[in-house]
Amino acid sequence: MPLTARGEAIFERLPSGAPRESTGAIGCEIVRHEELCIGCGRCASACPTGATVKGQIFDPMQLYAAPPDSRRGALGAALRTIARHQPSGPIEVPERVSAFRSIVYDASKCIGCGACARTCPTGAVEARPVPLTEIRRIADARREEVA
Amino acid sequence: MTSAAAENTQVAETEDGVERKIVAFFCRECAYAAADATGNARVSLPTTIRSVLVPCTGRVSPLHLLSALADGADGAYVAGCLEGQCHYREGNLHALDRIEFAQALLESVGVEPERVQMFTMSAADAPRFVAAARKMDETISNLPPLKRN
Repeated sequence: MPLTARGEAIFERLPSGAPRESTGAIGCEIVRHEELCIGCGRCASACPTGATVKGQIFDPMQLYAAPPDSRRGALGAALRTIARHQPSGPIEVPERVSAFRSIVYDASKCIGCGACARTCPTGAVEARPVPLTEIRRIADARREEVA
Repeated sequence: MTSAAAENTQVAETEDGVERKIVAFFCRECAYAAADATGNARVSLPTTIRSVLVPCTGRVSPLHLLSALADGADGAYVAGCLEGQCHYREGNLHALDRIEFAQALLESVGVEPERVQMFTMSAADAPRFVAAARKMDETISNLPPLKRN
């Protein structure tokens, strides 16, 4: 099913006819690389819709996956040295510990603005442009769902 | 040396007879002053304890504690000011939470969480300082040596 007449009219009015020929995209898909995350929380404070927030728990597996030259990687190496078994799962984080918290990302609230990716100091958040054709396909699928 | 002093140097017995190693982080304002007072009173600490001076316990991160354990210590503890009496306002409260976090980390990988502990004392409270050191020594001596992969 194609876009509605109003939708088509909006696309027509965008610069140079076809929307955003330069990138071919009008939104971003957010891909998080948790192993690079240092838990600074800048993405959470930059997020305009609350799709990215700092969580209440921490998964020790993130320490194992972190790059060895990072702080988290060093902590992971120390933990691996004394570990009797694999981490049994996420742990509760006390109130004053701010760096060791897993970031919770909710894709359903995300508007694809990419603010989190721009503010991330380690490149743990990647904003992949979504091609217009893909957005149309998703929009059509949604519309069919609703209809 | 009097017999009382000789008794002081004794370390808690371990099952296998091997002496444990404990790394202690002492805050400069309270615990280190208490350590000074302990020295002036000629009371000795258990020989298992290796002390590290830190400006404030708020400096101690989970990485300090866990790398001490990974590099050969069987236990690690932090001694700081009483709650609400930190010279840097709330450094010891941060330390308390970080130690709780380190204990949770240890527990999640199957290591006894009591290998990492926190004690608080005032600068003048030498007996409490010694009691903390003895208690830590006793706790760690009752545990088997920490296995490393």
